[in-house]
Amino acid sequence: MRPLDEKETTAVFEKLFKFTGPNLKHIVERPETEGPDDPPGRYCFRLHKNRVYYASESLIRRATNVSRERLVSVGTCIGKYTKTGSFRLTVQSLDLLAAHARHKVWLKPTAEMSFLYGNSVLKGGLARITDNTNAGDGVVVFSMSDIPLGFGVAARSTQDCRKTDTNAIVVNHQADVGEYLRHEEEL
Amino acid sequence: MESHSPLYLFPLPRKTEERPIGGQHSLGFYLHGIEGPLEDDVDGASIINEDPGDFPPETCPDDLQISYHDCRFIERLTISEINTHTILSLTTGENSPENLEIFQKLRDRRRRERLLEANDTETNWCDATSPNPSGRVRHRSRKQTVNLHEVWNWRELGHGLKSPGLGRRGSSCRRRGRQLEPRRVRRDIVGRKWREVRELLQKNRPREEMSLDRFLFTNLADRDDDIAKVEKELSAEEVFARKKIKLAEVGMSLLEDPESNIKCLKELLHICNEKDHNIAKLGLMSLVAVFKDIIPGYRIRLPTEKELEMKVSKEIRQTRFYESTLLSSYKAYLLKLIALEEDPSFHCVAVRCMCILLDAVPHFNFRENLVAVVVRNLNSSDDVVRKLCCETLRSLFTNEGKHEGQVTLEAVLLISELVKAHDCHLHPDILEVFLSLKFDEDLGKARPKENAKVSKKKKRKKYLEQSNQLPSTDGKRRKHELMTKTREELNADMKSVSFTPDNDERRAAQSEILSAIFGTYFRIIRHCMDSSLSRPMLNDISSIRLGQHPLLGPCLTGLGKFSHLIDLDFMGALMGSLKKLAGHSGSHCGSTSNSLTVSEKLQCCIVAFRVMRNNLDALNVDLQEFYVQLYNLLLEYRPFRDRGDVLAEALKTMLWEGKQHDMHRAAAFVKRLATFSLSFGSPEALAALVTIKHLLLRNSKCRGLLENDPGGGSLSGLVVKYRPDASDPHLSGALASVLWELSLLSKHYNPSVSSAASSMLSTEGMNPSQTQAFLSTVSPTKAFEDLTTEQELFKAANKKFSPSRKIKSGNEFVLMNAEDVRKIESVVDEDVVEGKFEEHFKLLKDFDENERLRLELDRTSAAIRLYGEYRQQKKLKRKAKEDKKRKCL
Repeated sequence: MRPLDEKETTAVFEKLFKFTGPNLKHIVERPETEGPDDPPGRYCFRLHKNRVYYASESLIRRATNVSRERLVSVGTCIGKYTKTGSFRLTVQSLDLLAAHARHKVWLKPTAEMSFLYGNSVLKGGLARITDNTNAGDGVVVFSMSDIPLGFGVAARSTQDCRKTDTNAIVVNHQADVGEYLRHEEEL
Repeated sequence: MESHSPLYLFPLPRKTEERPIGGQHSLGFYLHGIEGPLEDDVDGASIINEDPGDFPPETCPDDLQISYHDCRFIERLTISEINTHTILSLTTGENSPENLEIFQKLRDRRRRERLLEANDTETNWCDATSPNPSGRVRHRSRKQTVNLHEVWNWRELGHGLKSPGLGRRGSSCRRRGRQLEPRRVRRDIVGRKWREVRELLQKNRPREEMSLDRFLFTNLADRDDDIAKVEKELSAEEVFARKKIKLAEVGMSLLEDPESNIKCLKELLHICNEKDHNIAKLGLMSLVAVFKDIIPGYRIRLPTEKELEMKVSKEIRQTRFYESTLLSSYKAYLLKLIALEEDPSFHCVAVRCMCILLDAVPHFNFRENLVAVVVRNLNSSDDVVRKLCCETLRSLFTNEGKHEGQVTLEAVLLISELVKAHDCHLHPDILEVFLSLKFDEDLGKARPKENAKVSKKKKRKKYLEQSNQLPSTDGKRRKHELMTKTREELNADMKSVSFTPDNDERRAAQSEILSAIFGTYFRIIRHCMDSSLSRPMLNDISSIRLGQHPLLGPCLTGLGKFSHLIDLDFMGALMGSLKKLAGHSGSHCGSTSNSLTVSEKLQCCIVAFRVMRNNLDALNVDLQEFYVQLYNLLLEYRPFRDRGDVLAEALKTMLWEGKQHDMHRAAAFVKRLATFSLSFGSPEALAALVTIKHLLLRNSKCRGLLENDPGGGSLSGLVVKYRPDASDPHLSGALASVLWELSLLSKHYNPSVSSAASSMLSTEGMNPSQTQAFLSTVSPTKAFEDLTTEQELFKAANKKFSPSRKIKSGNEFVLMNAEDVRKIESVVDEDVVEGKFEEHFKLLKDFDENERLRLELDRTSAAIRLYGEYRQQKKLKRKAKEDKKRKCL
């Protein structure tokens, strides 16, 4: 387990920034709520076995007691480095993203299941969308009762969404909570 | 009658037989600055240029004819000699007996004028008759209702042109021209009734007038100066009155028979050129009245040269002459008005005349000039003029039937150009005018259907024709062609004759108007953005100054009103700029406050929501950024600086009417509104409470705020602790807090606020099935209004009011309040008040008395002390003397 180097940090932050925008500051500066420290420490990112974890400082200090080989996970895993060396956000980061998301999409109840099976969001399934979303922005997908379902990348801006037909793709799928079942062994 | 002009220096009695030399008459008027004798018919051709392309000459020196006699008359007078006495002696020959006669006559005349005035009724001459649609003149009885619209102008000119019955005035005027018969004879001519009135009047004459007359008669010989003065006054008044009568006469004749008397227009125009402002104004106003009545319901097209060459019947020639004269004099009149508009003393009258004309005859020629002037005056600094122009344009916009909507387009284009030229620094009234525009929304929809129908019909027809034609013979075909041709011609004729404007034209005009309006609105918004960006460092206090963006308010209301007509393509840009105006900070540069006031920013948010809601069918868009703005604006809101109604409106449109809310966002708003309703005034607090209630009912998860333990459990998300200073409602962690403010608010001094708060506390255990019944309660704006009116009543009463009352709805409360106030006013015990006042003043008196006594005491004690010192010193001196004496001894 080690802190991220500069290159890795920029990669991770860039990905997060796509979803959270200026709220990234809140993720980085989030004060920890557990631990004996006063003033409270921060949450920070750690790299462990090609995965990036998001955990409080006190937790990480305690985790150093465990040997590197035997440590499976610490805090929240938010993403992993692929074999080719690029960074991917995984489903586990969903809670973090949903709390700080800038662009959101709400799905109609009929379209939820399709999305949870790994399909993209179509215009027909769109119940609501945040204003001035641009194509390429990170978007968090919610159900109508405000439960985060997953996230993806907007395929069209809000303006274009108005005009397109019902079968056009609005959000490209990246991760959804269905993966907890579908890819249980990989996570 | 009461005003006269100092211009009339030389009053000249009309005593023609005894004049030793002729020509004083014309000379006198020349000196007065009037070109030509008044009684004579004025040759209009020299005053109004027949060619409608030029301005009418203001003064025409050729018209002033100075006769040989005039010159001689002047020669006989040296400058030092010019006074009334010499002139009188010159004109009348003898001195005293003639003067006596003159004065008797003057007095007489004056009395008769007063009589005329008193004989007067409230009608003015242009009301007395009105041409009915067939063109004939119908005399209205005096008792008939007077058209208010026509009456107004005379009063405002400062000397309401009151006039007696018309026929009598005309005859009396002519009679006065001669004036030579003795008084008794005249009296015989006049009817009995008149005599009665006169006697009545003579009785009622003010005493000073009588004494003045008596004075004149007794001291006639030796008080020349006084005589001259009075005479001057009298004749000035007389001239004024005569001109007024003349105006009335000419106007009447025009109204009676416009076709034959059309030349009189030039006479009226001539009167407008006078130097006496009052007369000129009267002339202008009477011309307006005349034009309003005689202008036909169509545009006049002057015949071309070719047409002029053709031989026509007498009637047509007459009509042509009538129309061309009307048109040329109308043009001359308008040119005069436009010229006078620059003159400050005539400005108001000129603009008013033009407004009346534009309102009455917007279809007639030269309306473009009228519209241009009226639009220009929309920005006038004079409130009266501006309001007048606004009203005119508004009525122009609402009554489009009068001019088929073309003038609307012209006016809108002119206004948008004006805004462009002045760089958006204009009076807000200009844009308020737009709000009265109406758009027919069915126009756009009707078109494609019609087209489809037409094309279907056409196809069918064609098909039928073809099927018909194929077997037909040549003759039949020819007949058929002829038929179709005539039918087409007939249709074209019908179309040109029909008064309903073509749908296509109307649609084109509408879209042009719309584009002009939205162009103006967008220009203003862009301007505001530019200026706010150029001054990013202004803090809020300095930006409260009024008039920084004068047009933004009406612009935003206009956008809200016409938002359903905005094209979807503009929507993105519009929302973007609105967002910037509402104070949305750029994504990176932190918080930059722009120079708009809080109310204006709130208005921006409201407009954005309206625009979105009106286009809801396209897509349901969540305006997150505007929510963030509102969330932050709540912090900046100050109860007495900013407008509470705007805040209530914003709460209503954004939170109360919105259907879906994030749990986090709703909780954040609930918490913040509750916190700030503690510091708002009570109307705002009530509006906030109504909103809170609504949000709590809608979002069942937010009801956790009403629980007693902080933390929020799993709902609170990542933010575990409530942060009251967060700028994003999502990150405030409001779910982790407790709504303790409600229990404080339930002890609010205002009964309705406290009852609202306590009712909310009791909804704690409410189950969802009950919520529907509660949702139909009052909206925030209504609650706000109710409470403001109630507060005003409160203030008016200024009495203590039992604060423990619990009243269910605001409406009821207001009603009861008014009654209670009255009761309390009457109930207050006078005796108690009296006693208290007595006590108070007694105390004050005692204070005074005490002070006085103290002063006296001080003075006396000081005197005693001084006396003691004096005695001591005296003693010492005496002792010293005695010592000296002893030593000497």
